[in-house]
Amino acid sequence: MTVGSQVKSCFSSIKSAEATIQLLASKTQKYEAHAKFKEAEKIMASIKNDLQKQVIQLTKEEPQYK
Amino acid sequence: MPGWITLIVKSLILLVALFFLTKWLGKKHLSHMNIFEYISGVVLGGIVAIHTVTPESNIIYGLIAMFIWFIIPFGVELFSLKSKTFRNFTQGKSTVFIQDGKIMEDNLKKEGYSTDDLLEKLRDNNIFLASDVEFAVLEPTGTLSVLPKRENRPLTAKDLGLNLAPDKEPQTVIMDGKVLLEPLANLNLNKNWLETELDKMNVSIENVFLGQADHDGQLYVDLYDDKLVVPEPSEKPLLLATMKKCQADLELFALATENVESKELYERNSRKLQHATELIRPFLK
Repeated sequence: MTVGSQVKSCFSSIKSAEATIQLLASKTQKYEAHAKFKEAEKIMASIKNDLQKQVIQLTKEEPQYK
Repeated sequence: MPGWITLIVKSLILLVALFFLTKWLGKKHLSHMNIFEYISGVVLGGIVAIHTVTPESNIIYGLIAMFIWFIIPFGVELFSLKSKTFRNFTQGKSTVFIQDGKIMEDNLKKEGYSTDDLLEKLRDNNIFLASDVEFAVLEPTGTLSVLPKRENRPLTAKDLGLNLAPDKEPQTVIMDGKVLLEPLANLNLNKNWLETELDKMNVSIENVFLGQADHDGQLYVDLYDDKLVVPEPSEKPLLLATMKKCQADLELFALATENVESKELYERNSRKLQHATELIRPFLK
């Protein structure tokens, strides 16, 4: 596995986690839990953005494994 | 009218009267009654018993007697709700038996408790050493309430400084294979949601003996067919595991890369992810 694909798989795991958090946030009836899930969702979104940049950069660096 | 018919009619009337009177007297448990309430309850029963088995007795007298024995305890209870002094008089005050870890011998004597009685009461509370007790008080109902010393109390989340998510009561949404709509509505869920969740578990609703849902929208079921294995809701543990794994991955990338900029980015995001995990961890338990 190249570094690029490793980062990519991590990126998709982050995406899946973000989606699950989103789901839990909308499902829960507890106000406090809802707020915390929303906050976590924001953090996950920012991590996702950062990683996305990294993925693009790595694909540029390793074009042969694209 | 033959005697046996009178007896049946009388029994029925008195039984109904007794049922309503005891209902109105409230639903205190027998062990939580003081001696006055207890005895008036027994007398009510006694009146009914005497008047049902003695054919020559006048039922009107029985009903009047029952009414008196009902209205006085009822009035006393009503009035003692309003006045604290009256309550102290009718229900009695509690007596302190152990204070600051020291047994109050005078109070024991006043209530007619021997050392053996006190030890027995303490053992009832799972305490075998009198010096483990910080404070103990004899309630008017005759039960002993005990506050053990700090070090002998069970450990709580507060002692450990744990951060726990608030809990709300779960609702029973399926009983004997039938959907209960009101509890479902309490959770802001509908029948469609329930059917989807059951489909996910691959069980039919007829097979569900009991189904409960919590405020996070997780469904727990028990089936008639005990041989079938039902999956536990795995969404939350799975999420926690994914987040932990991603964080470990990010740390690994940070260690592996030689590009300073990327290293910094991975480390920053790893920290962020850790923060997010800590944030929602209490809610994922």
